[in-house]
Amino acid sequence: MSEPRRAWRRFLAFLWPGRAERELAREIDAHLAQLQETFERRGLSPADAHLAARRAFGGVEQAKEAQRDARSYRPLDELRQNVTYAARTLSRTPGVTLAAVLTLALGIGATSAIFSVIYGVVLDPYPYAAADRIWAVRVATVDRQDGHIYSPVELPALRQSPAFASLMATTIDSVLMTGEFSPETVTGVLLTPNAFDFLGVPPLLGRTIRPADVRADGDVEPVVVISHRLWLRLFEGSPSAIGRTLRLNGRTYTIVGVMPPRFGWYTSDGVWLPLAPNRTDVQWVLPIVRLAPGVSPDAATAQLTAINRRLAEERPEIWPKQGFTTTLSNYLDVTVASGEMRNSLRLLLGAVGFLLLIACANVANLQLARGVTRGREIAVRLSVGADRGRVLRQLLTESVLLSLVGGALGVLLAFGAIEVIVALMPENYVPNESRVTINVPVLAFSLGVSVITGIIAGLVPAWQASRADTSQVLTASRSTGAGKHGARTRSVLVMVEVALAVVLLVSASLTVRAFMALQQIDPGVQADRVLLMNLPIAPERYKTREQRAAFAQEVQRRLSRLAGVESVSFGFPGTGRQTPFTIAGQNRDDSRRVGVAIAAAEHLRTYGIPLRRGRMFDSAEVARADRVAVVNETAAALWPAGQDPIGTRVRLELLANPPAGMLIDASRGGDVTIVGVVADTRNNGLREAPSPTVMLPYSILGQSSMTLAVRAASGEPSRLLNPVRAEMRAIDAEQPLGRAITLADIFDDDVVQPRFTMAMFSTFAGLGLVLAAIGIYSVLSFHVSRHTHELGLRMALGAPRRRVLRLMLGMGARLVLIGLVVGLVASVGATRLLQNQVYGVRAADPIAYVAVIAALGAIACLACYVPARRAAGVDPMVALRQD
Amino acid sequence: MASERVELLQGTLDLIVLRALSTMGPQHAYGLAARLEQVADHPFALNQGTLYAALTRLEQKGWIKGTWQRTESNREAKYYALTKGGGRALGEQVERWRRLSGLVDKLILGPSS
Repeated sequence: MSEPRRAWRRFLAFLWPGRAERELAREIDAHLAQLQETFERRGLSPADAHLAARRAFGGVEQAKEAQRDARSYRPLDELRQNVTYAARTLSRTPGVTLAAVLTLALGIGATSAIFSVIYGVVLDPYPYAAADRIWAVRVATVDRQDGHIYSPVELPALRQSPAFASLMATTIDSVLMTGEFSPETVTGVLLTPNAFDFLGVPPLLGRTIRPADVRADGDVEPVVVISHRLWLRLFEGSPSAIGRTLRLNGRTYTIVGVMPPRFGWYTSDGVWLPLAPNRTDVQWVLPIVRLAPGVSPDAATAQLTAINRRLAEERPEIWPKQGFTTTLSNYLDVTVASGEMRNSLRLLLGAVGFLLLIACANVANLQLARGVTRGREIAVRLSVGADRGRVLRQLLTESVLLSLVGGALGVLLAFGAIEVIVALMPENYVPNESRVTINVPVLAFSLGVSVITGIIAGLVPAWQASRADTSQVLTASRSTGAGKHGARTRSVLVMVEVALAVVLLVSASLTVRAFMALQQIDPGVQADRVLLMNLPIAPERYKTREQRAAFAQEVQRRLSRLAGVESVSFGFPGTGRQTPFTIAGQNRDDSRRVGVAIAAAEHLRTYGIPLRRGRMFDSAEVARADRVAVVNETAAALWPAGQDPIGTRVRLELLANPPAGMLIDASRGGDVTIVGVVADTRNNGLREAPSPTVMLPYSILGQSSMTLAVRAASGEPSRLLNPVRAEMRAIDAEQPLGRAITLADIFDDDVVQPRFTMAMFSTFAGLGLVLAAIGIYSVLSFHVSRHTHELGLRMALGAPRRRVLRLMLGMGARLVLIGLVVGLVASVGATRLLQNQVYGVRAADPIAYVAVIAALGAIACLACYVPARRAAGVDPMVALRQD
Repeated sequence: MASERVELLQGTLDLIVLRALSTMGPQHAYGLAARLEQVADHPFALNQGTLYAALTRLEQKGWIKGTWQRTESNREAKYYALTKGGGRALGEQVERWRRLSGLVDKLILGPSS
C-alpha cells in the first residue's frame, strides 16, 4: 500500500511543487532558528551562533535538493526546470528564436507533407481490411509476353485450395446506362457476391452486395451498389437514392447501397454489380485471395501452380502453349503507385531530408552564435559546480523546444502544402482509394522528426558550450571570448549547408531540364483541336459486322456535317492490339509482334499525322472492309532493308485466327495489303520510342466499341461536345457516348509526372538555397559584429574601406566555394539515383550544373555583400571605443 | 576524524526516525537530530539537513504525519507523529532488520558453533 501511495504523492508534488517548496523553506528556517537558539544558550554571540547553526545543519541547498529528490521525480523536475529556463532564454532574443523556428518549420513542414503523401499513396493506400494480406493471382507465360486470364468457370477449382482463407473475383465491364438519366457509359465492376465481405468496407448508405443476392438458379438479384461520385452526380447526395433504379445494359437494377468516397475498387465513379456464377459471356476474371492463417505465400503459390497445371491439362486451348509461371503479388505492391510515382516519392523524401539537414545546420549555427554570447553565463554555472551533463541537457532542451515549436508550425504549413502537392499529383499514378491527409501516423512522424531534429541541431552547440574552458572564458575579454573554435564550427556548418543546397539545386535543375526536353518532343500528331469520346455500339442492337460498320459510317457522315467540325475518324493512334505477323515471303516467327489499330479514311487528317509514302485507304475501301492497311515508319522498318512495304502483303494472326467474341471474317484469311506508310507517332507515350503499328479499316474488326475522334475547324475542341451529343441523340435517342477528353489532355498525362517531380524538386531546392543564404548571411554578420573592434583598428591604421570589403567578401567566398565544390562532387553520385526520373537528359548535363553555379553564386554574393558593406561602413572611432 | 564517522546504511535512517518517534512521541526535525546525536556513540556522518529527505519519504508513505505546532519556547515547528500504519511498518522493519543483521553477524563472525 505504502509504495503506490508514495508514487502518487510524488507525482502530485511534481505537478504542484509550490506549496511543498514553501513548506520546506519554512521548516528549515524554523530548524535553523532552533539550532541558533541552542548555540546562543551555550553562550555564543548571535553572529557566531548563526554560523554554528549553519555548520551543524550542513548545506541548506543540498538538504533541499535531497528532499526534492525524495519528494518528487528528479528527471521530470529537471525537465520542467529546463523547459521553463529554455523558454525564458529563447524569448530573450526573439529575433534569433523566430528565425530558428521558421527555419525548422520549413524543414519539418516539408518533410511532414511528403511523408503524408507517401503514407497515403504507398504505405496505406487502401481502406480494405488488412490490405497487406490481400494477394492477386497472376499467370505469365515463360517469355513474359503474355499470360493466362482466368475464366469464371475456373474459379471453383481455385476455391478448392486450402491455402486460401477466401477468394473473390472481379471483372470490369463498360455498361450502358439508359432510362431516366441521359444515356452514357459507366464503368461497371462485376464482383463475386462475397467480395464486399472480403474487402471489409461498410457502405455509406444502404447495404453492399451479399452472397444472398445469388439465387438458387445461379442468376443474381438485379441489385447495384453505386460509387460516391456517381451518387453525388445523379442523386446530388440524397439518401433517397436507395431503392431507386438504374437501367444498365437494358436491365433494371435496384440501387441497394452507396459506398464511401474512399472505396474505389477498380472504379471511383462507376457501379458495382454482382457477378452471376452462371454467366458464360464474361471473358475474364481477376481472382483475388486472402491466404489462410499460417500459410506462407510460397506454399500458396506452390498449391496454386499445381491447380493451374491441372486446369491447363483440362483446357489446353485457352492456356499458354509455351508454359507459364504462377505468382502471387501482394496487393500493396500492385498499386498503380508502384512504379514511377513510388520512385519519385522516395527521391522527394530524400530531397526534403536534405532540406531538413540544411535547416538543422542553420539552427545549429544560430544556437552556436547564441552560445558564444552565453559563454560567460555557462562558464559561471560550470565554475560554481553545475554538472556538465546538466548544462548539456539544458542546452539540448532549448533546441528540442525550438524544434517542437517549429514542428507545430511546420504541421500547419504541411496542411497547406498537401493541398498544393495533391493538386499537382498525377492522378493516373495514385490509387483511387488513397487519401492524403495529416493523420495520426503523420503527426507521430512529425513529432519524431521534430525531436530528432532538435537533438541534431542542438548537439554541436551544446557540446561546444558545455566543454568550454571556464577559466579561459571568464578571463577573456568580451570581444575575443570563446572565439576561434566556435567560428570554425560555424564555417564548417555553412559549408555543409551550401554543399547540401548544391545537391538539391543540381537535382532540381536536372528535373527542369528533363521537363523542358519532354515539352520539345513532337508527339507526331497535332494534339490541339481533337475531341475524343468512346462510342459504344450496343452488340444486341448491332449484331453483325456490317450493321456496326453501317452505323459507324452514318455517325461519321452526320457528325462531319456539323458546323465547326473539320473531320471525324474512329480509332486512336495508340500501340494497338499486339499480334504475331508474317511478312509475305518470310518465315513465320510467332515471337515478333505488331500492333493492330483501327482507323477511318479521314484518320490522318483528323489526327494530323503526315503521310510518308503511298496513300491512305479511302472510304470506299472502308465501306467494303477491304483487306488494306497502312503502317507507321517503325513498322515499315520491319520489312527487309531495301524492300518497300507498299504493295506487299502481311499476314496478321488476329485476322487469321480471331479470338472468340470478335466479328472478324476469318474466311477472308489473315493477309492485308499495305497501301501506304505514315509518320511515326508517340503511340507508346511521349517518353517511349514509337512501337510498330498496322492500321486497318475499322470495318474489318467490327468492334463493339470504338474511339470517336472529332477535329474542330478552329478553337477549343470541347466546344463541340454539346453539338456532337445533340446530333448523336438525333441519330439514335438510345445511343450513349462515353466521357469526352481532348487529345491534348492525353499527352498532358505523360507530362504530369515529370511536372510533379520538377515542381517538388524546384521548390525544395529553392527553399534549400534560401536557408543556405541565411546561413551565409548570419555567419558573416556575426563575424562582423564580433570583429567590429578589429575592423575599426585596421581602418584607423589606414586600411581603405575597399580592403575591408574585400576581406569580408573573401571570407564569404571561401565558404561558398568549398561548399560548392563538395556539393558538386556529391551531386555526381546523388543524381545517378535521379537518372530514371529525368528522361532525355544525362545526369551529367552541363547546362544543369552551370545553372546551379550561377544561381548559387548570385544568391551567395548577395548574402555576403550585405554584412560586408556593414563591415566597411564601420566608423573606426565608434568601433575602438567598444570594450 | 571523518573516517571515524559512521556511514548510515541506505534505508536505516528511515528506521531510526520511526523508532525515535515511537519512543519519544511527536518530534520536530531539530528534536530528532538532537536525539540522534545524543544516542550515538560515534558522531554520525549526518548533517541535520539530511533528515528532510527521510521525513518526506516517510510522510509520503503515510507512516508519519507532520503538523505545525508551537515549541516550549513558543517557536513554530513542524511536529511529526507516527501514524497507525507507521507503527505497523516499524514492527515489520524492525523484524526485517533483526533478520538481516543476524545474517550479517553470522557471515562476518563465522560459525559460532
